[in-house]
Amino acid sequence: MRFSLLFLILLSAALSPKAQDLVLRIHPRVQGQELELGKETEGFQVETLRFYLGKISLWKGNKMVFQEDNYHLIDAEKPASLEISLNVPTNRAFDHLQFELGVDSLTNVSGAMGGDLDPTLGMYWAWNSGYINFKLEGRSPASPARDHAFEFHLGGYLPPFATVQTVRLPCKTSPRIHLRVDLDQFVTGLDLSKQARVMSPGAEAVELSQKAAQIFSCEE
Amino acid sequence: MKNKFIHIAFPGLLLALLGLAAAAPHLGEVFTLKYPESWPQPVYDFQKNPLTKEGVALGRKLFYDPILSRDSTISCSSCHLSYTAFTHVDHALSHGIHDSIGTRNSPALVNLAWSWSFMWDGAVNHLDVQALAPITHPAEMGEDLAHVVEKLQATESYPNLFAGVYGDEKITGERLLKALAQFQLTLVSCNSKYDQVMRGEPGIEFSEQEKRGYELFKLNCASCHAEPLFTNGEFYHTGLPMDSLLQDEGRFNLTLDERDWRAFKVPSLRNIEFSYPYMHDGRFKKLYQVLNHYTTIRPGVSNLPYYKFAKGGISLDERGKVDVIAFLLTLTDREFLFNPEFAFPKE
Ligand code: HEC
Ligand code: HEC
Repeated sequence: MRFSLLFLILLSAALSPKAQDLVLRIHPRVQGQELELGKETEGFQVETLRFYLGKISLWKGNKMVFQEDNYHLIDAEKPASLEISLNVPTNRAFDHLQFELGVDSLTNVSGAMGGDLDPTLGMYWAWNSGYINFKLEGRSPASPARDHAFEFHLGGYLPPFATVQTVRLPCKTSPRIHLRVDLDQFVTGLDLSKQARVMSPGAEAVELSQKAAQIFSCEE
Repeated sequence: MKNKFIHIAFPGLLLALLGLAAAAPHLGEVFTLKYPESWPQPVYDFQKNPLTKEGVALGRKLFYDPILSRDSTISCSSCHLSYTAFTHVDHALSHGIHDSIGTRNSPALVNLAWSWSFMWDGAVNHLDVQALAPITHPAEMGEDLAHVVEKLQATESYPNLFAGVYGDEKITGERLLKALAQFQLTLVSCNSKYDQVMRGEPGIEFSEQEKRGYELFKLNCASCHAEPLFTNGEFYHTGLPMDSLLQDEGRFNLTLDERDWRAFKVPSLRNIEFSYPYMHDGRFKKLYQVLNHYTTIRPGVSNLPYYKFAKGGISLDERGKVDVIAFLLTLTDREFLFNPEFAFPKE
């Protein structure tokens, strides 16, 4: 069973038509400008932005034309992580990009993982197993916390507090997709004076994860 | 002898192929986990972390090595000693780095391959990732996994040992955690007097008192402490009054579901003779205290509808309690407790 499955996979990989590298470039932004960590704009500054982007797929109408199964850790501090190469067969037209913001529940209960999912990367909760899907830390005078800090570590996979979000965006065929992440939309959409710290799974994490899913768009 | 065991082993070829696909270890000699045929299938997915002799040995070395703690003073074994069923006997609440005290009693490490959740509240969902908790908890080992990995990489011996298991000297969080899990998965206890009686080994029988205790146990306890693992893996509120200092709400903290309020995991009772103190906060030192608790639970401790002891505690007279304890002592597995394969590795 397993053998044949593996051979099939290898075989199909060998026989599949030529693939090109399609680049998915992620642009974290504030007020339409590329994010600069530690720089104050719009009454807040961002110190950390990290999130999981996984299971990327491309769609033409209702038809899926490309699919990846793995997860990428996007880290605003690591420029290399902002560019993802997708091995898409040439001449595949698409009109939508789809991905998961965060890590699905099956992956969350599958034990220790490597690569971008390695638990040394600071995106894993040790005392309440599970991945942090989305991490945003910074400062704003609106936050009543110490040093006016705000901290959002969004995650949790157990129902009813599952936080992983499926994001589907209109996106034109092109060898380079520019994916915008408008952080000001997220921050200004919150009342930091009441909600400056969410660090564990629960209803708040779900609500904020839904908001975080809204800040993505493809550049036309 | 009816002493039949199931062997989990993987043919080398299949292993090598899987090794291509995943970062799973694919070197070394296959390690066969032995357990009775009548037991359920393990929960642990060995295909994602196939046991090898080298992997188990590496995990054992790590388990006993204080390099996992910031000031190199404590190791996993500081709180989980092999001859006390891998629990920490001296202190009700396990002492950690800088002598700060954790808030819970360290549980016995036994038959972990059959557990689907870890910790008293089930907050850890997989054995692989369990070690992250002590390594990153300031009250326990006070280290950060990334830093532990760096420290290990800088040693003389570890890179070589990791290479023997994973094919190259690179140490990663995943590899470290999987090696620790490998050793812990070998902590199988299945050779107590109870097991020998169940297997019908010649010349081994329960005494009259143990027999009576076993019958009472099946009637009163086995719904939760289910044979053969002596736990059903579920969570219950057993009517223990809340410790006002610790204010531990148990599984509720995790699920925020009122049905889990003050619920704790049913612990296995294997080697219970040696794994005192008892309960999540180690409040009882003796088995008779645990039984006295069960027989004196009053109705109304909790009026939540799902509460198992809503009608009051278990009814057992004094003789019944003594009999049940006699039965519990048949769960002691000396071969497990004093197994040199589990002890501090001497090189
Ligand atoms: C300072 C004491 C301490 C140290 C050091 C320690 N533990 Fe523990 N261990 C505990 C306590 C306390 C618990 C229960 C915690 C809880 O329920 O929240 C526990 C729980 C566990 C469990 C879960 C058992 C079950 O059945 O639920 C495992 C497995 C475990 N520890 C393995 C390890 C390993 C591996 C190490 C070394 C990396 C380690 N421990 C280091 C105290 C310790
Ligand atoms: C409703 C389920 C349930 C029943 C019935 C039950 N137990 Fe328990 N038992 C538990 C739970 C849950 C714990 C852990 C409680 C805690 O730490 O707060 C526990 C803990 C224990 C412990 C302490 C184990 C340790 O390692 O700390 C012993 C001993 C014990 N039970 C024996 C018994 C005996 C003997 C009976 C029958 C007379 C019994 N139990 C019936 C659920 C149950």
